[in-house]
Amino acid sequence: MSSEALKKRKSKVLRSEGGTPEMKRGRGEGDPQDVRVYSEEVELDGRDPEQDFLQYKESCESLATLMSEIQDLKANGAKDGCAEVEQKRMQSCIHFMNLKKLNRLAHMRLKRGRDQTHEAKQKVDVLHLQLQNLLYEVMHLQKEISKCLEFKSKHEEIDLVSEEEFYQGAPQEISRPHLTKNDPHQLTLARLDWELEQRKRLAEKYKESQATKEKIQKSIEVKKEHLRSLQPGLNAIMQASLPVQEYLSMPFEQTQKQTEIARHLPPPLYVLFVQANAYGQACDKNLTLSISGDVDEAKALSKPPEDSQDDESDSDAEEEQEKTKRRRPTTGGQLDDKRREMLKRHPLSLCLDLKCKDGSILHLYFYYLMNLNIMTVKTKVSTTTDLSTAISAGDLLKSDTLLSCLYTSDQGRETPNPANRYQFDKVGIVSFADYVEELGHPYMWVQSLGGLHFPSDASEGVRVGSSLSASHMESTMKLLRGRVQSRLALHKQFASLEHSIIPVSSECQHFFPAKIISRLARWTTISDQEYMDLQYTRHVTEAGLAKETDLYFMAVVERGTARLQAAVVMSPRYPEISPLFSLSLSWKGERSGRTDDNLRAMESEVNVFKNELQGPRPGHQLLTNQISRLCVCLDVYLETEGQDDSVEGPREFPREKMCLRTVRGPNRLKPFKYNHPQGFFSHR
Amino acid sequence: MGPVELLHMSVFSQSFSPCGRFLAAGNNYGEIALFSLSAALSPDATRLSQKPVLTFTAHEGPVFSLLSTDCRLLSAGNGEVSAWSWSELIKKNVKPLWTKRPNYKSSLEIPEINSMIINPRDNSLVVGGGDNNIHILDLEHGVFKSVLQGHSDYVHCVSVREREAEILSGGEDGAVRIWDSRTGQTVHCIEVYKYEECARPQFGKWISCLTTDSDWMLCGGGPSLSLWHLRSLSPTSTFPLSGCQRQAAFYQDMILAVGEGQSVSHCLLGGEVKAQIPCSSQSLNTLQLNTNSTEHRVLTVGGSSDHIDVFTNLSYRAFSLSF
Repeated sequence: MSSEALKKRKSKVLRSEGGTPEMKRGRGEGDPQDVRVYSEEVELDGRDPEQDFLQYKESCESLATLMSEIQDLKANGAKDGCAEVEQKRMQSCIHFMNLKKLNRLAHMRLKRGRDQTHEAKQKVDVLHLQLQNLLYEVMHLQKEISKCLEFKSKHEEIDLVSEEEFYQGAPQEISRPHLTKNDPHQLTLARLDWELEQRKRLAEKYKESQATKEKIQKSIEVKKEHLRSLQPGLNAIMQASLPVQEYLSMPFEQTQKQTEIARHLPPPLYVLFVQANAYGQACDKNLTLSISGDVDEAKALSKPPEDSQDDESDSDAEEEQEKTKRRRPTTGGQLDDKRREMLKRHPLSLCLDLKCKDGSILHLYFYYLMNLNIMTVKTKVSTTTDLSTAISAGDLLKSDTLLSCLYTSDQGRETPNPANRYQFDKVGIVSFADYVEELGHPYMWVQSLGGLHFPSDASEGVRVGSSLSASHMESTMKLLRGRVQSRLALHKQFASLEHSIIPVSSECQHFFPAKIISRLARWTTISDQEYMDLQYTRHVTEAGLAKETDLYFMAVVERGTARLQAAVVMSPRYPEISPLFSLSLSWKGERSGRTDDNLRAMESEVNVFKNELQGPRPGHQLLTNQISRLCVCLDVYLETEGQDDSVEGPREFPREKMCLRTVRGPNRLKPFKYNHPQGFFSHR
Repeated sequence: MGPVELLHMSVFSQSFSPCGRFLAAGNNYGEIALFSLSAALSPDATRLSQKPVLTFTAHEGPVFSLLSTDCRLLSAGNGEVSAWSWSELIKKNVKPLWTKRPNYKSSLEIPEINSMIINPRDNSLVVGGGDNNIHILDLEHGVFKSVLQGHSDYVHCVSVREREAEILSGGEDGAVRIWDSRTGQTVHCIEVYKYEECARPQFGKWISCLTTDSDWMLCGGGPSLSLWHLRSLSPTSTFPLSGCQRQAAFYQDMILAVGEGQSVSHCLLGGEVKAQIPCSSQSLNTLQLNTNSTEHRVLTVGGSSDHIDVFTNLSYRAFSLSF
């Protein structure tokens, strides 16, 4: 016990002794020496609060009485500081001390009460926690239990044999009826055992079968190998027999192969194939046929049963498909795809080679547009000689002009199938002509050869299929051959015309005088627009004789200062339709066939009297003869011009041609007609 | 007839039928076509009524001259004259009544006949052509009774002055000869190209059109078209037309002329060109006025195309007949 604490306590006591000195004294006498330290807490334990309360009341009462007594005394005039008042004041002080003590005690008691409550509360908390733990444990256990209850065994998914079967089939040691009859668990186990047993057995069996299968396969393989080894031998025999076949002109093998492929051709191409083949065998040995393209794709196409149906329904189905597609908002790309789909060709195409006498070959490639149900053709010409020399002949053998107008006005630019119009509208194709370059030309005769017939305004005898094809075959083949020959002849002629040489064959020599002074100076091709723009061809254009399909050329014939321009329209059907010349002469001013009757007469000399210039059939030399005639006429024109003039000096063109008369008739025409054996010129 | 032939066709001659309802036209292919004017001029005329009702080949060469008498159509081809009955032609029977050829001296080329005219005084046909001579065919007896010789080149055109019994002819040699039809002698010879007011040396000297009316003569060709007073044999007026004229006619107080160039020229007697009416052909060969019928009074013009332009009113082209 520290002296300081002791002092503190002492001072405290002292202070409190100041309040209640007698009580302290009394109590202090009773306490032992070592517990001299006064502990109010201990005292608190020993006191009863009820008593304290009574004591408090008592003190308050006595204090009140004392106070009133003092007041009475004072009122009675007792002097301040008289003994009696002093006495009473002493007594009330003691009572105050007592009240103070009681207050302190009450405070302590309150504090103790609080401590006690706190303690109790803590205890309750601990207990509550314990309770919580227990509850959680319970929940967990319940969950576990439910999990266990929900457990499903794998075996439930396994299909087991029924109980009766099990007892029948399973041996005793597995079924153990004495155990299992009453215990379903054991029963299930036993059944599972039995299942396992059975499965093991089956697996073994499967393995065994597999092995035998492999063995058999191997043996098959061996046999196949053997068969395959036979093939080269057979091929060798076939190869060896080829010369014999050829010698006997019986190309069995090739035709067999072709007919095999031909089965996959679409119907129109098949008709064409059969008919061309037949025609080739019967009438035309120089016609050969071949099929090109992806056979597998064609096979895939012809697989579905729609093959047997009519093509019309095929395209109808396509249309319907288009319709449903159409509902969706279409972008440009989709339309493009649709167009491509619509213009799709059959994967197989037919190549027909026509050989001409001079060794050049016309290759015709026939295609079938499945969705449009029309046929198109592309062409190529291969020749024995080099054809690159003539520039103006560039268009002559081009695919798109070579066969134009083979029959009258068959330009092959628009589709002949009227139904296509509606199909095009749907996908926004304006004209088939835009696709001709890529797809080939749908000429009418091609459709006829393929047995496709489209009714047009002019109703003729309707024949469809093979008979239609057959009826067109011969004439078309002849036309084709004629066309190619005329084009090749022209090509050759153009080459020399470009070098300003007019080729005149010996058969045609007598059409012209021996001496021709006018010379061809230029031969060029011009565009149709250039042609139309010329002043002196307007009457031709107005008469509708210059068509889009025609070829246009410009020839320039010169003699001295005179220069004759001839604009030429050449029909693709040349020489059947003869070229048409329009003239313009620049000599002492410009004059043309429109303004000068003599130039007009020259025009008619070459245009109208062309039959005299035809030469040997079929008239391939017509063009060159016409140009030669033009040169002769220019000679005559220049030599007979202005003879009446009394012009000074020598004439530019001395008279060399023999003419009976230089002018004749009311319009004073010059003699342009040449009379062969006599060699003079006369009038028509 | 193909389109190319049509393109190169020229119409050289025309003649109206005596009834005035039909027009015959000859072209360079020797064909004569008959057009029905009454059909073409009717209010319900179609394109088809502007086509010939009949076309037939009359001669080998071009038909340079056609002429109608009171019931016949006379046509001249290469060195021959044929007569056709109008009534038969209208019924579409094509058969010449007769064909006659003048007596030509042998020549390599058959001379053409460029012009014919009837001399009503003795009912004879005056024929001028390629052999430089004028042949007179007696229509009563059907024989060539005389030949007028004098031109040094071929004869383009002939004309007749009935009252004076004179025949006029113009030729390639540039001379207009006036013949006495009774004696067959040249009375006068006017060399038009020697007169300064008419001469056009850049063209030449030939006379290709000639027509007369009482004392007046109209002639032209290489030289300018000019009006002559025959009694004084002097040109009174020349007409400033650019091309060479091929046919001219008096009409009321006017002169109509056609030739090179695309128009019919209307000239006044004083020498002014009053109007030039465009036609469809580039150059014109023939013009004809239908005086035979009052209801079909038209002017028709043919030239270097297959069209014959019809003028119901002289001042504009109404429509075209075509071969």
